[in-house]
Order: sequence, then C-alpha cells, then structure tokens
Amino acid sequence: MDALALIAYGFYLALILAGGVAAVRCRSLVRALLGLILALFGVAGMYFLMAAPFMALMQILIYVGAVTVLIFFAIMLTRPTQGKAGEEDGTPRTARRAGLALLTGLLPAGILGLIVTVRAPQALPLKPELPLERLGQFLTGPYVLGFELISVVLLAAMAGAVVLGFERRKGA
Amino acid sequence: MSPLVLFHLAALLLLAFGLYGLTNRRTLVGMLISVELMLNGAGLALVASARLTPASDELGQLGALLVMGLAAAEATLVLAMVLVAVKRAGTSDSDRLAQLKG
Repeated sequence: MDALALIAYGFYLALILAGGVAAVRCRSLVRALLGLILALFGVAGMYFLMAAPFMALMQILIYVGAVTVLIFFAIMLTRPTQGKAGEEDGTPRTARRAGLALLTGLLPAGILGLIVTVRAPQALPLKPELPLERLGQFLTGPYVLGFELISVVLLAAMAGAVVLGFERRKGA
Repeated sequence: MSPLVLFHLAALLLLAFGLYGLTNRRTLVGMLISVELMLNGAGLALVASARLTPASDELGQLGALLVMGLAAAEATLVLAMVLVAVKRAGTSDSDRLAQLKG
C-alpha cells in the first residue's frame, strides 16, 4: 500500500473503531445505532479501498439503507412498560460479568489475529477491478441455484415475520 | 504488514466488538446491533480474501453479497421475534426473559 492508501485505511479504521465503541457501549440504543451506521460506512470505505465499488454501494444500500431502518423500528416498537424507549438499564454490571464479556470479545479475535499475522500468505497486488457483467454472469450461470435460494430464504423470512406479527395481534 | 493482514485485522476488530456487545448488552435490540457488526466483519474478511489472494474474485464478492442478503432476512425475522417477546414479557431485557412458558 502506498502512503495515500494507508492514510485512507487509517481513516476508515478510525470510523470503524469509533462506531464500534459507540455501538456496544452507548446506553441509548439510538446512539448505538448511529455508531453502527458509522462502522458500516467505514466498512464501505474499505470496500472502495480494495477496488470493489459494487460491494461498497451494496453495503450502503442494504445495510445503511435497509437494515438500520429495521433496527430503528425495533427500537421504536420495543418500548418497555416503564421507562423511555431505546434506553438500556443503567445499573452497572458486576466486575465478573464485565470481565467475562471482555474476554469473550477479545479471546477469539485475539487468537485469530495472531494466526492471521503469523501465517499471513504471500501478499498479492490488488487484482484489476471486477467488471459488473462478470458478477452477473457468475450469478446467472454456475451459481444460479444459490441466487434462487437466497430469494426463497428472503421470502420465507418475510412470511415468517408476517405470521409472527399476526400472532401478536391476535393475543392483544 | 501486507494489505491483506490489515484488512483481516479490521474484520477481526468488528468480530471482537460484536462478541463483546452480544455478551454485554442487556436488550435484545442491542444484541441485534452487535450481530450486525459481526456479520459486517465476515463480509469484509471475505472480500479482502477474494481481492488479495489467488482465490476466485467473483466467488468472494458473491459470498459477501449472500451474507448481506442473509443479514437483511435475519434482521426482519429478529425484529418480528423481538416484538413477540416484548408483547408477551413486557420487556426486551435479556436478563428478565428467562421463562420458556410464562
């Protein structure tokens, strides 16, 4: 990587870091969601950096555009009977639980990070940007079954959500 | 450090944040946010491996797209499940959702 790319990488990494900290530490869930959006933009920037602009745009379209709106709805609709919507209980965790949570986060990532750094494969220069037609041909050619199956999965998820929603209304 | 390692370390950072949030968050929605962070890390690692190793470029990018599609489906379903849980238990606090049949 040349210097300019390293600077861009550092900027996107800072976005991911700040967003991630906000996403897991903020008491207000709306702020946590804003942190998630920041981290998602950081990942989109990294996709741009590795010359995969289609992935970056899909990231912004699907994650920032759709998934976060869904999560926002979830925050709005899960208001507890007492207390404000999107506010987590503020009583601090016991030191043991906080320590265990930290361990759960750091241990797998630390082990994998060690493996990735020590056994890194020979670095390859960045391949030329993949034309979009190539992706389309792949998706409609050898991997058409996966393409169709993901639409079935989406349909099943949507039908499941509707069924769960109906069941909820009947109980009311 | 090669670019591949740098991108993989960023992905692992997202994994660490996600796992920490998943165990530390109290509300179900907060846990959902952490899961999205982890899925993003997976996508980033996939695309980085596809772009910077001899592996098939198309396969890696399509795999990451599949992860995105699954994440969208998962978010829809989890939203409905959280709504049902809140409707039945009156709270989305994971510590207080301890009964299977209430």
